[in-house]
This record gives sequence, structure tokens and C-alpha cells, in this order.
Amino acid sequence: MNTLAKAQADAPAALPSAPSADLPIDLPLSAPWTVETLARNGEVLQRQRVATLPIRMGRAYDNDVIVDDDYAAPHHALVDATLDGKLLLRDLGTRNGIVHKGRCVKELHLDGDTVVRMGHTTLRIRSAAHPVPPELTDRTMHGWEGVLPGAAGVLLTALTALLAAWLLDRNNIELQRYVQWPAAAVGAGLLWSGLWAFGNRLFGRRARLGRHYFIFGLALAALLGVRLAASVVAYAWSLEWVTAYASHAAVVTVAVMIYFHLATVTPQLRRRLRIVCAVLGLVASILIVAGNQQQHGRMADELYMSLLLPPELRASPDAPVAVYINQVGAMKKEIDAERKGNAGE
Amino acid sequence: MKRAVIALLLCCIAAGASPQAAAPTRPPASAANAPALAQSAPPQLPGDTPPAATPTAPSAGEVETQDAQPQPSSAAQDLYESARTDLLQIRMLLKNGRTQSTVGSGFLVGTSNLALTNYHVVSQMALDPDVYTAEYIDTDGNTGPVELMAVDVLHDLAVVRVNRNGSGFFKVPESPARLRQGQPLYSLGNPLDLGFAISEGAYNGVLKRSFYDRLIFSGPINSGMSGGPSVTASGNVAGINVARRRDGESVSFLVPVAYAQDLLRKVASQAAPPADFNPLIGQQLLAHQGGMVDKLLDEPLTLKGMGPYLVPVRESGQVRCWGRSSVKRGAAFNVDAMSCVMQSAVFVSDSQQTGNVAMTHQYIRSGSMEPLRFASLVGDLFKVENLGSTGDPRLTKPFCSERFVHTRTLPLRAVTCVRAYRNFEGLYNFTLLTASTDASQASLQSRLDVSGVSYENGLRVTRAFLGAFGRSGRR
Repeated sequence: MNTLAKAQADAPAALPSAPSADLPIDLPLSAPWTVETLARNGEVLQRQRVATLPIRMGRAYDNDVIVDDDYAAPHHALVDATLDGKLLLRDLGTRNGIVHKGRCVKELHLDGDTVVRMGHTTLRIRSAAHPVPPELTDRTMHGWEGVLPGAAGVLLTALTALLAAWLLDRNNIELQRYVQWPAAAVGAGLLWSGLWAFGNRLFGRRARLGRHYFIFGLALAALLGVRLAASVVAYAWSLEWVTAYASHAAVVTVAVMIYFHLATVTPQLRRRLRIVCAVLGLVASILIVAGNQQQHGRMADELYMSLLLPPELRASPDAPVAVYINQVGAMKKEIDAERKGNAGE
Repeated sequence: MKRAVIALLLCCIAAGASPQAAAPTRPPASAANAPALAQSAPPQLPGDTPPAATPTAPSAGEVETQDAQPQPSSAAQDLYESARTDLLQIRMLLKNGRTQSTVGSGFLVGTSNLALTNYHVVSQMALDPDVYTAEYIDTDGNTGPVELMAVDVLHDLAVVRVNRNGSGFFKVPESPARLRQGQPLYSLGNPLDLGFAISEGAYNGVLKRSFYDRLIFSGPINSGMSGGPSVTASGNVAGINVARRRDGESVSFLVPVAYAQDLLRKVASQAAPPADFNPLIGQQLLAHQGGMVDKLLDEPLTLKGMGPYLVPVRESGQVRCWGRSSVKRGAAFNVDAMSCVMQSAVFVSDSQQTGNVAMTHQYIRSGSMEPLRFASLVGDLFKVENLGSTGDPRLTKPFCSERFVHTRTLPLRAVTCVRAYRNFEGLYNFTLLTASTDASQASLQSRLDVSGVSYENGLRVTRAFLGAFGRSGRR
């Protein structure tokens, strides 16, 4: 296709003024023109360069732009310049016509952003002078692609699984468990990041498996790390609410992970993805709270903090028994209110 | 010859050893539940085999066992003949459809139109008069309505009024007759809804382990006989059938007749039966918990050693404790456990008992587990989910108070969860959970459950229990 476009591009240079001799020289329209076939999401599927006006479009082989679409007529449309220097697209009397913004039109003025549909083919025409945005700043760490982040991800996953296996081991240490857990986690990571890589290949250009695996490994480590850090903080300073709402920290971690996966797939949509992930996280948190409320009649994840850690990790002072009993005594009002409140229903 | 001697010796050893070997194995396993059964006994006659018997066709096996019972003596025959006119079966009926939900027995007192039965026979009518009603059937198949006059939840007694008078056979003496151990008693009722029956047994003293006195009757009492009388040969009522031990043979219990007299006196003094029994039952339960907590705390709790820790227990006639250990060579950690139950539960309804006191202690230690790994283990063990379902309509959801506290010698993590009874004002269930926070490879975890107490008393027990924890000097 590229070679074809080039061949066409070479030709017009020889006869630039022949058909458009009567046009003003300082026309904003400038040859060559590029006909772009678009996908539904606006992505360019195909580009064809045409050196001169008019541009004949259709399925027949004598056209300037051949439209490979069974629903397009052999001679479907013609693009020419009007006297005031604009491009005009005309329907050549076809059955399916030209559709612009959902309406069938006989003729239409085009600028670089006018998108029309012929049969099943969506296209737009841009002149050589069409402005393009400046280049994006490249923040991608090209050295951190491929095997390197992938290996780091695998390592993080395996280490996190090892730590979890050790923490939850109630028996004497046996090798089997410490092989199985990391293996299972690495396998799960491969599946997860493989799916993301597949999506990346579909919507982006490359799979970026290594990068996706790194994101997974980092997120897994963060999940465990946040949980442990929350436990230590809650235990040290007797901050029971920290563990009572620990699931929301996990939700945030997962939302951040999904944001990084999505941003790897489509980096240009970062801002929008941030909003999407924040909303998703919020919805998940609300669902957790609502679920707790419905199932247990409380918003917190647990009835009380069941966490116990080594005594060295305690930082705040203990209360005397009498103070605690007063605290329990103060609870009576709340319970009686609950009893009365529900009895009234 | 040698072999024969050895065989003989082995036989002797086996014969001598077997009773000893069998005896110690039983208490921890069955005893842990059994006394609770006996005490939770009211539900037992009704409770398990539903409050009195499901009207199902007897299977061949059942009939056989019936036939196998010894023939009543001629004294029993005469007794039944004269008693049958005053014997009643009491049926709880659903108001809608008038299908029976539970059945029990009862008897007409003297020549009055009042009949005695168990509270647990009429509990549905007492708690839910809008849903349940009752009728009686006598031995001739006549039926009539039953009106609830008074209940005594604590001793499991109720007085109902019917539309006919007794012949005067069942005499409830003003002062109970003295019974001698071994004296024959005759228990009457309608077992398993199969038909009226009399069973013969012997009086065997007063059960001391139960919170309220019960007479031990060594004779068969089956579901459906609840509320029936147990009488001496002369027709003097000795007690009212109430429960049996499920793990025993013909070990049954009677409510002493003295409590029935108290209740009858109360009925005589009241102008009309109360319209709603719920507040009355609530008051009786409040009175019960007062006595129970006083008894529990009348002397300081005993301290027992578990490893380096001192744990509070109460050992008295009403509180029974059992121990259990999981010590295994080479295990990553070991657990010793001790649990005590006070035999003070009171039957309120099929699904609700109250007035329990139970305490458990667990001492967990490990030589080989690293502190963090051990912490993760004991954290899991400290998590208790079964404070009863939150959807339970009889109780509010649990409210918990948690804190790191310090007794005189031991730092603890303490959690108290309280639930209130919805239908009985002023009664609460208290659960105290504690875990020691002083060591990285040993943990003492305890749980105290006190159900059906006033807030005041719940706090009292919690304070006494929590304050008693300690640590002895030795490691």
C-alpha cells in the first residue's frame, strides 16, 4: 500500500497545474490530497495519496481511489474544488449515497475533519496543509521494555508469594509449599499479563508482555505490602479503623494497577483512564460497604480487630481495666437505641 | 502351657484395665456436652425430639422397644386406672389451620379446673399468643380449650385453666412429702403422642449440679410426657416430668412439686391472667440472671495456671470445667484448652435459651515458629465469627468495644461484644474475647460468654473476669 501511495505521489509532481489552472495559486488547499479510510473508533485503517483534483472514487478500476466495498458503486463520488477554494464531494447518483452525520447528502463541502460514509467505508480527505499537533513528549523508558521488566515482575510475584506462603504456614516448613505457591502465583501472573498483552497487541501496536507482567508483580507486592503496613500501624497505635477498612486500600491498589495496564495499552488517553479507574474504584468501594452493611449490619470489614503481632510492635500505651469497662458501659446507649429503633419498625 | 498362662494373664489385665480405660475417655468427650444437654434439658424432652413428639407412624423398631419394656406392676395398673380421668394431653396449635406444632402432657390439680404442665410445653402460646393457641385431650378423647394462667420460666412450670374439673386424684400437698431414695414413683403422660402411659421408676435424690433443684427419677420419661405428673403410690405428686439425659439410660428429671405449689398460690392470688406474658417472662429472666451472677461472683474467681499465665475460672457445683490438649511431638505449635460451663441455662423457646455462662481459655505456644508467622496464626485463632447470626430477629446486631488493656501483670487485647434481646427489655448477651500481648511465641486467648444478663451484671462479670488475668513470674 505504501508503495502504491508513493507511486501516485510521484506522478502529480509532473503535472501540478494542468487540471487546476483556473484556481488561485494561494489556495489553502494544497496538493497532494490524502484519502483516509477510518475504523469506527476513528483510527486510520488505510491512506491513499492523490496528486490532483478531481478525485474519482468508487469500486471500478478507472477511479483515482478504489473503494473495496461491495456497498459502494463503481463510480460513487467525485471530489473537486469549488470556486471559493473549498473541496466539494458529490454523489454520482448511487443507490446507497453518501452519508454525513447520519444523513444522506447529495453534495457536501469537506474540510480536513469531515467524515463521510460510502456504503460501509468511512473516510475523510485531508490536504497536505492540514495542521497536525506537535509530537508527544516521549516518557517511555525504552530500556525498561521486554525481558527486563518481565523478569522483575516474575521475581516480585515469586517473592510476594513466598512471603505469603511463609506467613500463612501453620506447619513445620516444608519445601513443597514454598515451590508450589510461587509457581502458582507466577502462572496466574502470566495468565493475567498475557490477557493484557493480547489486548495491547489488539489496540496498540505491540504486546508489551514484560511491562504488563511488571505491573502485575508490583501490584501484588503492593497488595501484601499495604496490608502488612496497615496491620503494623493499626496494631502499634491501636488504630482499629485502619484494618476495619483495609479492603478499600486493596481496591485502590487494584484500581491503580488497572490504570497502569490501560495506560500501557493506550498512553494517549491517560487523563480519561485516570477518571475511569477512579470511578471504578469508587464503585467497588461502595459495593463493599453496601455488602458489609447488608450482610453484617456494619460498614467495616470486621467486627473487631483480630490482629495480633509481636509485643515489640506496640507503641501506644495500654488502658487500665477500669477505663476499658467504662468504655464498654458507654456502649449501652447505642445498643438500646438500636433495639428501640428496630422495634419501632 | 506357658501360652495358656500368658493368655490368662492378658485376659485378667484386659478385664481389670478396661473399666479404667473407658472411664477417663468419656468425660472430656461426652461430658462436655452432656450436662449442657441435661441442663438445657427443658428443650430436651421437647427440644430435640420436638417439643413433645412428632405425630409419625411408629416404625417396626419403635414398637418393638415398647413391647420390650417391663410390664407395669399391679400397683401401677391400679394407679393408672384411678388417675386416667385427670390426665391430659396438651397440644399447641397454630391458629391458622389448627395443626398441632408441639404436644405435651398435663394433669388436673385436685378437684379444681387448673392443670399443671411445663412452661416449655406452652412456651409458644406464652410468647406468641397471636400465632398459637392450645387445646387439651383427655384419656377419653374429649377435647377443650386451654387458657394460660401463669408461667414459671425458671423452674419450667405453667398453670393452665380448662373447662372441666378434676376428680381429686392428683393431690398437690401443701408441704411436700418427704421422699426416700429408692422409693417407687410413677410417671404419667403421653409419650411421643402414642397414647397415655404410665412408667415406673425410683426417686434418686436431688440433682445438685443444676442451678435450680431437680429431682432425679430413675425411670423412662419420653418426649411428650413433659408436664405429666410423677406421683407416689398414694397419688401424692412428687414432681413434674421435665427432662431426661439423652446419653443415659432412664435418667430423668422432675421439677420438685414445691415450685408448683408456689405457682398455684400465685394463680389463686391473681385476679386475671396477664394479657401479655412477654414482660412477665422478661422479669423472671432478669431475676434469674441476678441470682446467677451473684452466685458466679459470690467469691473471687479461682486462678489457674496455664503456662506462665494465670486464668480465672470458677469451680463450684454449678460450673463444670473440662480440659483438652493438642500437644504433639514435632508439631509447629501446641494448644491447651480449658472450658467451663455454668449449668444455669433457662429454656425460653425452641430456638432461644438464656442464662448461660461459659468460659474458655486457650494457651497456644510454639518453639519453632518465627514471631511474625506465629502472630499470623494467633491472629487467625483470635478471629471469632460466630457471635450468632446477625440476621437473628431476637437479638440486635453485636456492638463491640475493643482496646489494648493492662491488668496488674498482663497486657491484653480485649474485645467486648454485646447484643440486646429485642423481646425482653434489659437483657443482653455479653461476649468478652481476650488475647495476651506480652509474648511473641505464646498467646493466651480466652472467651467469656454470659447470656441473658442485665447490662450492669454483664459489666460486673466482664470486669471480674478481665481483671483477674495475670502472669506468674516463671516462664
